[in-house]
Amino acid sequence: MKHRLAILQKCVAAVVCFFAAFFFLAAAQAQGLDPAALLRPATDTWPTYNGDYSGRRFSTLDQINTTNVGSLTLAWAFRTRGNTVKSTPLEVNGILYFTSPDHVWAVDARYGRQVWHYFRKSEGDHIGNRGVGMHGDSLYFTTPDAHLVCLNAKDGTVRWDVELADSKLDYFATMAPIIVRDHVIVGVSGDVTDLPGFLESRDPETGAIQWRWNTEPKPGEPGSETWPKDNDALSHGGGMTWMTGTYDPQLNLLYWGTGNPNPVLAGEGRLGDNLYTCTIVALNPDTGKLAWYFQPSPHDVHDWDATQTPVLFDAEFHGKPRKLIAQASRNGFFFLLDRTNGEHFVTAPFIDTTWSSGIDSRGRPIAKPEATPSSDGALVEPGSDGSTNWMAPSFDPQTGLFYVKARRIFSVYYNTVTTKAEGWGGRDRILWANSTIRALDYHTGKVAWNHELGEGEDIAGILTTAGHLLFTADNSGNLLAMDPATGAILWHLNIGGEVVASPMTYQLDGRQYVLIPVQDIVYAFALPEK
Amino acid sequence: MGAPHHKKIKKTKKTTMGKWTRVAIAGIWLLLLLAAKNSSAQTPADRQQVQVERGHKQFQQACGFCHGADATGARGPDLVRSALVAHDVNGNLIGEVVHNGRPDKGMPPLPLAGEQIADIAAFLHARAKEALESSGVPADYPVERLLTGSADKGKAFFEGPGGCKNCHSTTGDLAGISKKYSSIELEAHMLYPDDPPVAAVLTLGSGEQISGTLSHMDDFTVSIRVGGKNGWYRSFPRNEVKVELQDPLKAHRELLPKLTSADMHNLFAFLNSLK
Repeated sequence: MKHRLAILQKCVAAVVCFFAAFFFLAAAQAQGLDPAALLRPATDTWPTYNGDYSGRRFSTLDQINTTNVGSLTLAWAFRTRGNTVKSTPLEVNGILYFTSPDHVWAVDARYGRQVWHYFRKSEGDHIGNRGVGMHGDSLYFTTPDAHLVCLNAKDGTVRWDVELADSKLDYFATMAPIIVRDHVIVGVSGDVTDLPGFLESRDPETGAIQWRWNTEPKPGEPGSETWPKDNDALSHGGGMTWMTGTYDPQLNLLYWGTGNPNPVLAGEGRLGDNLYTCTIVALNPDTGKLAWYFQPSPHDVHDWDATQTPVLFDAEFHGKPRKLIAQASRNGFFFLLDRTNGEHFVTAPFIDTTWSSGIDSRGRPIAKPEATPSSDGALVEPGSDGSTNWMAPSFDPQTGLFYVKARRIFSVYYNTVTTKAEGWGGRDRILWANSTIRALDYHTGKVAWNHELGEGEDIAGILTTAGHLLFTADNSGNLLAMDPATGAILWHLNIGGEVVASPMTYQLDGRQYVLIPVQDIVYAFALPEK
Repeated sequence: MGAPHHKKIKKTKKTTMGKWTRVAIAGIWLLLLLAAKNSSAQTPADRQQVQVERGHKQFQQACGFCHGADATGARGPDLVRSALVAHDVNGNLIGEVVHNGRPDKGMPPLPLAGEQIADIAAFLHARAKEALESSGVPADYPVERLLTGSADKGKAFFEGPGGCKNCHSTTGDLAGISKKYSSIELEAHMLYPDDPPVAAVLTLGSGEQISGTLSHMDDFTVSIRVGGKNGWYRSFPRNEVKVELQDPLKAHRELLPKLTSADMHNLFAFLNSLK
């Protein structure tokens, strides 16, 4: 009898354990991120660098809107103690994940309390880090010594750590990986020496390489004819993949902007268009095969990479519904293409520039010879920091306008090379800079409205919401909520620091939060609690 | 207490010092100075420079034929941006290649001594560093490279279409301007000078006018130093005051998009001639 009871007890215990384990696993899964959820992000999550695959940085949340934005108040603040946050936080199941070089934080999205902090000391360029990617309960983080680290999202412990590129050659990594099904898509940085760029897909479970797409074609491959044949320029050509791209699940195409060619300012040793540098490429995310490309800056000699977010939206163009892709590029031109095949629709300057004499038959701006960096200096607008740069643009489907931080920068570009050019081969000397935010009509690229943001180079990103609001910051440390239709300022706050990140938003327990990192403090704003 | 005592001793010494003693002391000072100068030539940086120069000569003789005299490649590969050189520490990897050669690629083993290899490694690392640092215009950039324009044409532009003489004078604020800046700085300041104080006049709602030097202005606030840059600070909401600014750099900003390369280089040649 006693024996039987013991067996029964054991059975019951086993069943309880089984169910407990089941519920535990289910609960554990619920805390993670199913890649299928990325196809239609819920309003209580911000699961990728841009919030969704499209890169629009438009949220359907409207609790904070034009009628109540004036009462926006601080919900909480979180200090990283000295580490500038340039990343856009992810928010998944009530936890925020954000970064600075070498650091990842998991923070309670409701109350701003730290859940865990991960630190990995590394050599290499610490210029910035854009954030993490997430798959299941794993986070993916790139490092200054060009590694990809997989962390357990629950506690920040390391699952694996793989090298993406040789940091001794001055490769480094800053971008936020993006997850497409079971592919962790990751790119690299580094243009101080002459390195070839590439984009890779890694296995989310092991970090093993699935495919690599090289920015430079191999000799003899299509595109190699845009490089000299009689020297080694092609194998040192640059074209880093240092910003996060976008993805269309229906077309199953990944869209990526590539960096500038090398040597950066001295182009005499690499005559030709230098494909696929300064290019928007469409790749198959399962194979890394190139579907189509468009090059905003052929043969760039000004550091005007085309890494700015290629934004995806479906809208009417010339009377037909179209699948569009738009980029406000660092060279000062807005480009609109058909994202199914790369067909060119619009090229238009979104701000004054002095370097181009016109647009060629393929929609590419034509560079004036006198804008080429020279030993006696070439005065050019914009400077190498660009008419815009990595700060997030936004597309608002409610207004149909494309928003960009646009700067006027005058620079004198010097080519300082006396022997064979290696590395940068020169630099520009910035004279004067002034910043604006501009709303562009995507049909034409024409400026629908412009708002001046002050002297200097503004690098705060943009968020639009269904509450008919646009969030950004000016060049004097003021956070701004604007009317995206007119540019009118509806709310502002002197936040006491330079905004060098892009805002994001999410709603939890019926309360919408707008988050903005300001140097080493992350601020969460919301409407006052009832 | 200490100081007066010291003074006293010094004074005593000075009064008892003979002419020849003074000459001897001066001589010792001179020797010390020379010694100091000599020893400064022996800093680690200088020793490294000497090694790099030795390495350059060695390299030209032993390796230059294939790898180019400046190591940027000829028949053999460019070694400035070589992965092996990037990973080498004091010749540990370079030495191996030099000693064993690369028979498969047609490079013979070279009978160089350990010191010679260390010198060559130092030279190659210095070349790689140079490429790494090429993303800057050197402060001592040769003025000759900027002097591609005509000073006469620059003068004509200065006095004519450039409109420069409306605010500037070659015998006044610009007298001897070329001696004040390095070549690159002169060109940059010519195109866009450092921000000078901006004079502001604020008209308040009451009609009262306050003038001073602009301190800050954005969409929401304007603040000035009343009377000038050392005056008291006052701030106002932007929407309650009328702001008039006298921005002395306005003409420069208007000129920048219009200036051709020829105008810029001619103007530089002219300003550079103002010794």
